[in-house]
Amino acid sequence: MALGAVFVGLFIFALWTVGLVGSSSISSALRLTVPIGFAAMGGIFAEKAGVINIGLEGLLIIGAFGAIASLYALSVTPIGASIWLAFAFAVVASTVVALLFAIVCIEFKADQIIAGLAVWLIALGFAPFASYIIWDQTNSPSVGSFSAWAIPGLSDLPVIGGLFVATPPVILLIIAVPVSWYLLNRTTFGMWIEASGEDPKSLDTAGVDVRKVRYAGVLLSGVYCGIGGAGMALTVGQFVGSGDTMMDGRGFIGLTAYLIGNYNPIAAFFASFLFAGLEALQIQVQQIAGFDVSSRLIGIIPYVTVLVVLAFVGKTQMPSSAGDHYESDD
Amino acid sequence: MNVDDESSNRTRTGNLAVHLDGITKRFPGVIANDDVDFEVESGTIHALIGENGAGKTTLMNVLYGLYEPTEGSVWIHGERREFDGPRDAMEAGIGMIHQHFMLVDTMTVAENVVLGDEPTKWGGLATDRKKAIEETKALAKQYGFDLDPTKRIQDISVGEQQRVEILKTLYRGSDILILDEPTAVLTPQEVDGLFGILEELIAEGKTIIFITHKLSEALHAADDISVLRDGELVDTVSAENASREDLARMMVGRDVLLEVDKPDVERGNPILEVEEVTVEDERGVTVVDGVDFSVHEGEVIGIAGVDGNGQSELVETITGLQTPSDGSITFDGTEITDVSRADRIGMGMAYIAEDRQKRSLVMEYELRRNGILGCQRLPEFSNGWRIDWESAEDYVDDVIDEYDVRPPDPSAEAHSLSGGNQQKFIVGREFERDPSLVIASQPTRGVDIGSIEFIHDRLLDLRADGKGVLLVSSKLEEVRRLSDRIAVMYDGDIVGIVDPADVTEEELGLLMAGERPTGMDVDSARVRRRESA
Repeated sequence: MALGAVFVGLFIFALWTVGLVGSSSISSALRLTVPIGFAAMGGIFAEKAGVINIGLEGLLIIGAFGAIASLYALSVTPIGASIWLAFAFAVVASTVVALLFAIVCIEFKADQIIAGLAVWLIALGFAPFASYIIWDQTNSPSVGSFSAWAIPGLSDLPVIGGLFVATPPVILLIIAVPVSWYLLNRTTFGMWIEASGEDPKSLDTAGVDVRKVRYAGVLLSGVYCGIGGAGMALTVGQFVGSGDTMMDGRGFIGLTAYLIGNYNPIAAFFASFLFAGLEALQIQVQQIAGFDVSSRLIGIIPYVTVLVVLAFVGKTQMPSSAGDHYESDD
Repeated sequence: MNVDDESSNRTRTGNLAVHLDGITKRFPGVIANDDVDFEVESGTIHALIGENGAGKTTLMNVLYGLYEPTEGSVWIHGERREFDGPRDAMEAGIGMIHQHFMLVDTMTVAENVVLGDEPTKWGGLATDRKKAIEETKALAKQYGFDLDPTKRIQDISVGEQQRVEILKTLYRGSDILILDEPTAVLTPQEVDGLFGILEELIAEGKTIIFITHKLSEALHAADDISVLRDGELVDTVSAENASREDLARMMVGRDVLLEVDKPDVERGNPILEVEEVTVEDERGVTVVDGVDFSVHEGEVIGIAGVDGNGQSELVETITGLQTPSDGSITFDGTEITDVSRADRIGMGMAYIAEDRQKRSLVMEYELRRNGILGCQRLPEFSNGWRIDWESAEDYVDDVIDEYDVRPPDPSAEAHSLSGGNQQKFIVGREFERDPSLVIASQPTRGVDIGSIEFIHDRLLDLRADGKGVLLVSSKLEEVRRLSDRIAVMYDGDIVGIVDPADVTEEELGLLMAGERPTGMDVDSARVRRRESA
C-alpha cells in the first residue's frame, strides 16, 4: 500500500513539474478512476469472501448500459428523465447479474473463473445488441449526464479549488473508499468476510452461515460495479457499445488494482488512480501537436505500467480459500 | 426414561454430564456406531479410544450435533436433547476441539476466539476489538494459558493454537469439551502442557472427553476409558484398574505384541554416508550444523530429538528436497549431494514423509495415480514418454492387498481414506519397490496401534533383508524399540550416537535437551558445542 502511494505521489509530482498536470487533469483522472476504483473495491469484497469475481468488467458494462437505457426509457415516461433513478436502476441491474453469478458459483458450484468470464462475455454481447434494438446502433445517443457539484467553500480555494468541483460519482468514490475499508477492517461483517475467504470451515463451525457471507460479498461487488459503470456512463452521457464497449477493460484493470493494493480498499484506490492517471496522460499526450507517435502505441502505456507495477509490487497474499467451493457437513 | 436410574448403578457418585443411550449411526452400507451406550461422569476426564475407523469420531459427531443418530438418544445433564446442528450442541454447553484446528490463520487470537459471537459497539456498527482482547485475556488468565490475544494464528505454535481452540469453546460457555485426537499434532512438551490444562479445566468444573488411540495418554490423563471397536462399545473401565495390555486387547480384539522382537542382523557396508552436512533455511539461519553419520545395510538408525531441532531439514536434504550449503552425501558409493530428487528415487531411495498429506499424496488423486507418485519415470511404470497404467495398476493392487489398505479400491481418492490407511498405502508404495535405503520420517504418526505394529514389522523386515533404514520419530519408545543406533539431534547437530541398550530414557531425554548425561563418555556422546565451549 505504501508503495502504491509512493508511486502515485511521484507520478503526480513529476507531471506537475513538467506542467502536464493541473487540478483539471487530476479531476479528469479522478473521473476515470470511478469505474476502475469501484470495480476494484467490489472485487475485494467478493474475493475476500472466497468468490473470485473476474466478471467485474461485465458488471460494469451492465451498469453503464443499464443507466443509459433506464434514463432513455424514463425520459419517455411521465416520471421524466431522473438521472438518479436511472442510476439506481443500473445498480439494481448489475446486482441482479451478480446474484445470478453468485447462485451459479455457490449453489451449483460452477468454476468461478469460467462463470466470471461468462458474465463478461454475456454482457459484452448483450449490451451492444440491446442498444442496437433500442437505438438502431451500438452507441446510444447522448441522453444527459451528471453535472458537477462544487463543494461550498473549498471550491473557492486558489490553485486546488478545481479539485473540489466534482461529479457525484467521484464524490461517491471518495466516500466509498474509507467506508469499504472500515467495513472490512472494523466490523463483524468484515471479520466474517475475511474468515469466509481464508478458512470457511472455521467460520462455519463458529456458527456463521458461510453461504450467506459469500452471497453478501458477491452482491456487494454487483452494487459497486453498478455504481462504477453507471457513474462513468452518466458522466459521459451516453453508452458506447462498439469495440470492447466504453468500459474497454477497466474492470480487468480494477482487478489488477486490488491485487496491487493487496485487498486493501485504500491501496486499491491509489492503484486505480494511478492507472486512471496514466490513461489521462495518454489522452493528453495524443493531443500534443506534432507528437508523431502512433496513438495505438501511446494507448498501451497503462497496460505496460500494469506489468511493470505488478513486477515490482511483490507478492500479493490471496485469501487461502478464494476460488474453492465450500460445502457444510451438516 | 430417567437418568437417575442410569447413574444409580455406577459405583462412583456424581451426575452424568453426557449419556448417549443406544446410539446407532448407519451410513449407506456401513454401521459406524452400533447400539453404543456411552456415559461420562460430570467433572471427569474421559478417554474414548479405538483404532482408526472404530467409530470414535462418528460418535462424537453425534454428540456434537453434526450427525443425527439413526437410533438412540442424547442426554445432557439428565435432559434429553435433540441437536439439529453444532449450534444447538454449543447452546447445550458442548464444545468441540477438532483435530484440524478451526482457526483463521490471518486473524488474531482474540478475533478467532470471538468469531461468530463478536462483542460489538455503536449499535453493531463496529466490532469491539478492545473488549474482545480483554475477554480473551481474562479467560486465558482464568485457566492459566499463556497467550497473547493480539498475535496472529500463523505466528504462534501448534500448542498455542490448540489453546486458542479451547478458549473458543470456553468463550461460548461450554462445560463439556470434546477433544478429537488432541495430542496428534503436539510435541511431547506440549502434550504435558495440554494435560496440565485439562486438569485445570476439571478443577473449574468442566467435563472433558478426549479421543485418542494412544494408550499411554489415556491411562495417564483420563479418569475413565471407553473402548470402541468396529462401531461397538467394548467396555468402559476406570483408568486405575486398566493396563496397557488389556486396553490394547480390547481395541484390537486380539493380543498385541507391544514389544517388537528384533532379530540379529549382520551389519553390512555403509549405504548412506552423511558428512559435515550444513543446511540453512530461507532466512540464512543454520538449521543443520555439520552433521556426520552413516547408515549401514541391515541397520536401523533412529534419529531422536524434540521436533524442530533440524531433523526435518536433514531428512529433506538427504532425500533431495533441500540443498545443503556445505558437506556431502554419499549413497551406495556414489556422491549424490547434487543429484536430483528424481535420480535419488531411481537409485533406490524410498521416503516416507513426515507430512503425508502435503508431501506424500495428492489428495485429489486416485490411489492408482498416487501409487506411482515419484516413480512415474522409472522403467517399470513408463516407457519414457507415457505411463504404463497396466503395470501401475498391478503394483497398486499389490500394495493395497499386502498392506491391507481400506477401502481396497484403487479408484478411491486419497482424501477419502482415513489417516491410518493413507499411511499404510504410502508405506506400501515405498517399500514394495525394493528400495536399498528407506528414510522413514514419523512413519506411525496418527496411525492406530494395529497399523503401528504392522509398519514396525515391515521396517524390521527390510532391515532383515539387508536394507538400510533411517528412522526419524518424535516417539522415543519407537526409536528405542526399532533402532540399532540412536542419533540424538539438538539445535541442528547430532549431540550423541548411542546404543539403545546402553542408554536409559532419562539419559536420552538429557541428550535431547542438549545436556551430556553424567557418566557418559565423550565417545558415546559427542556433545560438541558444550565440550568446546
